[in-house]
Amino acid sequence: MATDRTATVTWQGSLMEGAGTVHEVGSGAFGPLDVSWPSRAEQPNGKTSPEELIAAAHASCFAMALAHALAQAGTPAQQLDTSATVTFQPGEGITRIALSVRGTVPGLDEAGFAEKATGAKAGCPVSKALAGVPEITLDASLA
Amino acid sequence: MPRIVREAGITWEGNVARGAGAITAASSGAFSGLGYSAATRSGNPEGKTSPEELLAAAHGGCFAMSLASELTQAGTPPERLEVRCVITMDEVEGKGHQIVHSEIDAHGVVPGCDEAAFAQAAEAADARCPFSALIRASATVTVNTSMR
Repeated sequence: MATDRTATVTWQGSLMEGAGTVHEVGSGAFGPLDVSWPSRAEQPNGKTSPEELIAAAHASCFAMALAHALAQAGTPAQQLDTSATVTFQPGEGITRIALSVRGTVPGLDEAGFAEKATGAKAGCPVSKALAGVPEITLDASLA
Repeated sequence: MPRIVREAGITWEGNVARGAGAITAASSGAFSGLGYSAATRSGNPEGKTSPEELLAAAHGGCFAMSLASELTQAGTPPERLEVRCVITMDEVEGKGHQIVHSEIDAHGVVPGCDEAAFAQAAEAADARCPFSALIRASATVTVNTSMR
């Protein structure tokens, strides 16, 4: 069954001098969140950006896919700490995403964990949607 | 222009069926500890965000800025843009779950810009928004425009 998720964004003024708001999301979990070009391209100053939201989407998708793979293998995770770091080059686009995970997984060795993490990186829906990013790296190890 | 780097961090505890995670905007601190789970990702959100909702916010935000840029370059900076983005995830036979569609509705209040010019700017914004280009790896992107 298809799942839809919605966000609305408002923007006022030019790109450089204007400002916007991630006004509302369907779940109501967050917002309104301010966005602007200076905070996207320079120091965030407490404001999120499309790249930070992509990082959050990718890291959360990867964590869930890895938890699923570990549980299916009979070694469910106690805890996974994941992060995604998105690099954006204005004029070029997103050039790199670095995924990282530290896991507490009873009964699993480093090699087994690395294998599951590699599979989750390849298979999670957000990874597949972002397959055009030139470089997606993975740093996986047990805590 | 220097490279821009943004990071988010997630903590996940337990398996998928009964486990849950928390999402934090590590670079800006704009949000933290947003809960999510498998059940709320694919079913009723029950007030919880999901990877797909974050993608909708990212694509909507990226597109809005691209459209503001195109309109400004055309000499008609927008007074106000309202951009709605809906991301659809579906199970594709043989490929598992995929992001299959992103639908953008862009509504503008743009002095001096007519419907045709606005639609043209939206088309250019779609072509230049880096996220629009990327997501086409697995999804179709549709852009609809309207003006007041």
